[in-house]
Amino acid sequence: MTYTLTRVEDALAAENDRYPLGERQRVEDPMQQQVHRSVFTGKLEEVLNSTVNWGRKNSLWPYNFGLSCCYVEMTTAFTSPHDIARFGAEVIRASPRQADFMVIAGTCFVKMAPVIQQLYDQMLEPKWVISMGSCANSGGMYDIYSVVQGVDKFLPVDVYVPGCPPRPEAFLQGLQLLQDSIQEERRPLSWVVGDQGVYRAEMPSQREKHRDRRIQVTELRTPDSI
Amino acid sequence: MLFDLSAIDERLRSHRHGLPEADFTVFYHLLSVSGNRDIMLKVALSERDLSLPTVISVYRNANWYEREAWDMFGIRFEGHPNLFRILMPSTWQGHPLRKDHHARATEFDPYTLTVEGQHREQEALQFKPEDWGMQRQSADADFMFLNLGPNHPSAHGAFRIVLQLDGEEIVDCVPDIGYHHRGAEKMAERQSWHSFIPYTDRIDYVGGVMNNLPYVLAVEKLAGIEVTGRIQTVRVMMCELFRITSHLLFLGTYLQDLGAMSPVFYTFTDRQKGYDVIEAITGFRMHPAWFRIGGLMQDLPKGWDTLMQRFVDWMPARLREYERVMMENSLVRDRTKHIAAFDTANALAWGVTGPNLRATGCDFDLRKQRPYSGYENFDFEIPLAQNGDAFDRGQLRIDEMRQSLRILQQCINNMPAGDYKADHPLTTPPPRERMLEHIETLITHFLQVSWGPVLPGNESLQMIEATKGINSYYLTSDGSTMSYRTRIRTPSFPHLQQIPELMRGGFVPDLIAHLGSIDFVMADVDR
Repeated sequence: MTYTLTRVEDALAAENDRYPLGERQRVEDPMQQQVHRSVFTGKLEEVLNSTVNWGRKNSLWPYNFGLSCCYVEMTTAFTSPHDIARFGAEVIRASPRQADFMVIAGTCFVKMAPVIQQLYDQMLEPKWVISMGSCANSGGMYDIYSVVQGVDKFLPVDVYVPGCPPRPEAFLQGLQLLQDSIQEERRPLSWVVGDQGVYRAEMPSQREKHRDRRIQVTELRTPDSI
Repeated sequence: MLFDLSAIDERLRSHRHGLPEADFTVFYHLLSVSGNRDIMLKVALSERDLSLPTVISVYRNANWYEREAWDMFGIRFEGHPNLFRILMPSTWQGHPLRKDHHARATEFDPYTLTVEGQHREQEALQFKPEDWGMQRQSADADFMFLNLGPNHPSAHGAFRIVLQLDGEEIVDCVPDIGYHHRGAEKMAERQSWHSFIPYTDRIDYVGGVMNNLPYVLAVEKLAGIEVTGRIQTVRVMMCELFRITSHLLFLGTYLQDLGAMSPVFYTFTDRQKGYDVIEAITGFRMHPAWFRIGGLMQDLPKGWDTLMQRFVDWMPARLREYERVMMENSLVRDRTKHIAAFDTANALAWGVTGPNLRATGCDFDLRKQRPYSGYENFDFEIPLAQNGDAFDRGQLRIDEMRQSLRILQQCINNMPAGDYKADHPLTTPPPRERMLEHIETLITHFLQVSWGPVLPGNESLQMIEATKGINSYYLTSDGSTMSYRTRIRTPSFPHLQQIPELMRGGFVPDLIAHLGSIDFVMADVDR
């Protein structure tokens, strides 16, 4: 953005100056250079970003959207035994316009896909998508004519939660992974400050992160007793 | 009552003992409640002339069944008022259950959604009242068309219903289903008899192993397997446990739809306690797929009875509390008493079964009328109500949970000893001891586990009293490792079809109360 700059010292009038007084010049946004010139304000941008992200990640409002079996487990995560309010995500919104994220909880059907797309488009930025369960991740066990083989064929997905259906705990873990990813995100702090693009952090693969620990398991509990 | 209506594509079938030449067969399954008998009528059709007169004038509920047969097989029903697609999108090409239609999504071009395609699909989803013979205005009012769904908090899933409103009064409504069609019937034609079991869990997805039961019973009929008393009793026990968790889910969401926020938190706490038992026994929460052809996946673990007893002791006080707080609450009573009420004759005309039928006072429960899996050995009652309204449907399910608890208590007290797998060559997977005898038994075992058992060419049908009503599997075997045709009759399908008749003249909040009281899940409608 360019500015018209009027300096105070130039406004001192000489006898033959015409009104309006002062010399005007067009300049670039002075903050632009100021911010990056000093170490302190460079840090300030960091602090601002993480403060905003902290706020965003701890008050995620889910969209009340369910397709099939996974929705029952998702609802279970909302009720007292699992209590999603611990993560600040208990404010279920019935309208996509008020929601922050959408959980594709269940199978994505060919007949339903245009509807899902419509609802996603109605959500306002910033918005995220969690794909919950095998069907939403990849079609799962339903490689069949009426099922889209994964919701990521048409929606950008932030977190995939595996399982058929995933346990409520798995959904809660997925939510926490989304929170971690939101913490690292870079979005414009306002519509005038900085680059207007959304920078999504590449988060580490959970499978690779936990592989070493998982393959160390050698003794599995027998199913013969409770 | 017209219990079921569908078709079979006969063109590739080789075992057709004494059946007339046919390319397609349409079957009508009629059930007499008073006589407790069935008749199945089959009509042979040739490929050149795939049409039949409609039977809507005799059985009103044939409407959706005939639309489904048109959608899935391309069979025309002459005189049908709106023979549109019901499960597939209106833009779909082909009839999926025909043998020449592809089954897998991956056999086909990968799914893409373009901006233009999105516009086209949205256009196709637009509701046009003229298609349904509806007027946009009357002499003194302009009607408003309210689109409720396919995603609405009180629609319990992907269900859409378009309301024609005069003020807040519902003049007429059109339910639109098919947003949850997972092609389970087509799936059965490519899975082995054994590997289809997990798909049955996901039909009525809150019913868990209850869905396995009609399927494995039907397969066992085909195979001629007799199971032991222990297997029967364990099956009954797990089914009743799932009936309780399903009814608890119903109760929570039903009351939430009426505006009561807290009950869902209480009932889900109880469900969690139920799942603790289910998980200890089966190792999974919602879809254990725990029943096997000729038995169970494994025996009961040590200590199951103390866990189950804890659950059985916990529930009665809770049920009493729900009654005291909610069903005796004047707000709940005002919202539900005499709302969406129907009588037995109406219920039977629409094919309504299960608790919704018994709420009208009709004593028809398959566990008593046609005992299966050893239900005749249990001492329990069938709760009934009189008015058939939204309140009775709620109260009846609380009473049913009490009876299920009685059955569970009897299972704990009298669990028979015995094997958890039937001694039969077609039991799948076969007992491991049989494999380790010599090379022949090893090969047989390998074939049976990898290809699955081969069942004789025949047909079998098994219906059970599931959580939501009568669920039946009608299997056609062509003497192979896979089913030739699997027809799944689900209770929720006719329950939704009945909605317009009940809601005409009602108000929008009555519709929400009614939707809550039906107890349906969309997978149980669209399969």
